[in-house]
Amino acid sequence: MDQFENLARNYSQAPWRKQLQTIALFLLIVVLIALVAGIYLNISARATAVGRDIQAMQADVKKFNREIEDLQSELARILSSSQMEARAESLGFIQVPTDEIVYLSVPGYVERPAIILAPTSERTVVRAIAMPPEYTESIFEWLARKAMDWYTILTEEQR
Amino acid sequence: MKAQERSRRYSLLGTLFTVFPVIIIFQMVRIQANPDLGQKLRDMGETITNPSMTITPARGQIYDQRGHLLAGNRTVYEVGVELQDVKNPMTIAQTVSALLGVNYDYALARASLQASSTSVYALLIDNVPPEEIEKLKVVIEQMNSMYSGGKDENKPSLRGLVYYPHLGRIYPEETLASNILGFVNAEGEGYFGLEERFDSLLAGRSKKVRVPLDPNRAQELPSVPNGANLVLTIDREVQRAMEQVIDRAVAQTGSDSGTLVVLDPRTGEVMALATTPRMDLNQFWKFAQVFPKDTPFNRAITQAYEPGSVFKVLTMASALDVGAVTPETVFVDTGVIEVGGAVITNWNQGAWGPQDMQGCMQHSLNVCLAWVATQVGPEDFYRYLRNFGIGHVSGIDLAGEGSGRLKEPGDSDWYEAELATNAFGQGVAATPIQMAVAISAIANQGVMMAPQVVQAVVSEGYQHQIDQRVLSMPLKAETANKLSRLLARSLELESSDALITGYRVAGKTGTAEIPTPDGYTSNQTNASFVGWGPLDDPRFLIYVWLEKPGISPWGSVVAAPVFREAVEELVVLLNLPPDDIRRKLSSEP
Repeated sequence: MDQFENLARNYSQAPWRKQLQTIALFLLIVVLIALVAGIYLNISARATAVGRDIQAMQADVKKFNREIEDLQSELARILSSSQMEARAESLGFIQVPTDEIVYLSVPGYVERPAIILAPTSERTVVRAIAMPPEYTESIFEWLARKAMDWYTILTEEQR
Repeated sequence: MKAQERSRRYSLLGTLFTVFPVIIIFQMVRIQANPDLGQKLRDMGETITNPSMTITPARGQIYDQRGHLLAGNRTVYEVGVELQDVKNPMTIAQTVSALLGVNYDYALARASLQASSTSVYALLIDNVPPEEIEKLKVVIEQMNSMYSGGKDENKPSLRGLVYYPHLGRIYPEETLASNILGFVNAEGEGYFGLEERFDSLLAGRSKKVRVPLDPNRAQELPSVPNGANLVLTIDREVQRAMEQVIDRAVAQTGSDSGTLVVLDPRTGEVMALATTPRMDLNQFWKFAQVFPKDTPFNRAITQAYEPGSVFKVLTMASALDVGAVTPETVFVDTGVIEVGGAVITNWNQGAWGPQDMQGCMQHSLNVCLAWVATQVGPEDFYRYLRNFGIGHVSGIDLAGEGSGRLKEPGDSDWYEAELATNAFGQGVAATPIQMAVAISAIANQGVMMAPQVVQAVVSEGYQHQIDQRVLSMPLKAETANKLSRLLARSLELESSDALITGYRVAGKTGTAEIPTPDGYTSNQTNASFVGWGPLDDPRFLIYVWLEKPGISPWGSVVAAPVFREAVEELVVLLNLPPDDIRRKLSSEP
């Protein structure tokens, strides 16, 4: 029995070493927690910053859309018939009396068509093959096609 | 501290630690057991963390047929107060009253509202232009720098005064085509014309979404397509020229109002529709000043009137088409005819002797046309008028069209005499657009096209052309051509003021006495003229109406020159060559 107690005493760690291990374990846990918290905070902060950017960009989109409308309207105001007439008058132009107007036929003149603001509602069907078949067919389809081509050539030669 | 006191405190703390969990558990059970309460609380939380936002699409734009913008959008601001932030309502009221013209008492009452869960924001004024907001910004900055800091509760403060941008309507051409366009009011609702007729299409569909305040939950806002754009058949230059023509005519003739309709008889496309008065659509709040009580916004489509002798065109068309008369048929005009007990006389009370149908139209003889109507008979006469669309809306794509009135046999207020009076445009009411559309059938080989102002709708990236529609075919092409030639010859023999050098046109004047409750006792008239040309290939039909002209009551004196003036402008704007050049050009290979 004594032998066992002696053996245990000889191989047991010193108290200070046990304390040190406990502290190290605790510190390791703290560091791990800090690491996880740091990663979480970093990702969370970046996600929040991106979120804020999205919100800011959405506000920008709204602002730009308003600015586009503003510019279109301002352009229309500058080019309005009354403004254009005033500018023409300021440049010294005068309106021609109707009895002085002479119709002049200009060969090749094409009358300005009505405005087309967007494609007509008849959707255009693209018929051209965008990609050669080599890019879309499987190896078996390719082999079958090649075999069919050879067969066609051979039968045509026999004729 | 005594032990007793310490014990009491521990007991209190223990009680609190016990009661709180009990309350929490009780609340949990209560919410779980009552689904409605749970939903209500969920909604409440959602409202706080994800406030709802309405995405309002930009209102569709309106273009003329050449792509000139007639109605667009621009940034305007709404100015209001965040009630919980307001410190001094009087300062706010004084500022918005001085800078933005808001009534002081109204602004003070709004800014003094108590903030509550249901009342957090009060609108003071909307549609404020950016220039005004710039002034407001300066004042707010000045106030902040002068009166910031300090604890004086009564110091001037504009805290709580806020402004938010949004899109509002703008009409770059101001008064041009205002009667066609209509306007959008402060609430964004379309009134009159195209704005009312196509209100839902132009406005688009707004969408309500919940936007999380938490940036971590930020997400893409759903895309809401803008309102549809409209492309009109109206040509800005033609419209402007016609407005100038009718304005000059109203001023020179001393008329109460003037209306001028220009349409392409081949397609029904309205090229111009000019009436008086017109308003600057950017100042829609002045509507009541420009259009005092009972003044129609667009006389051309709303106001029915007795058209007078221009109506004879329809009478003669039906008579020729049904075979009741031919151009060579001679009528001996004794200056008076009695139909259904009513005695009909000519405009000059004279007897014109033997007249063929051309003479009847050239001299605008009421007696002759009343006789022609009796030859047609009421059944056929009114059938033709119905086919010409008299008494019905023409279906023009503008809001507020009037139908006029056509009394027919079988109606309680129809008498036999109406057949004779209707023949020369009395006792029947039609709008200028109805008359123009009806008579366009004669200019277009007997085919009456539906009038249209919108040529195409641009929606979600595609332009949808609006199909031209045939309204009816009230008479044979042969009859239409015959009548056109007859009316052209009438104008030429009459040496009418409507004639234009180089272009052969057909037309008819009209002078209608204005009925009063006591009959036709007034000296005031409605003067009209309808004409179309070039005769062998009509490209335009013009209808002129001058209400109560002051210088002369006669259509031939006041309305015919307006037609000529309009055609002189129109042929230049439409690049229409004189007849001889056109024939030469078309004969060239």
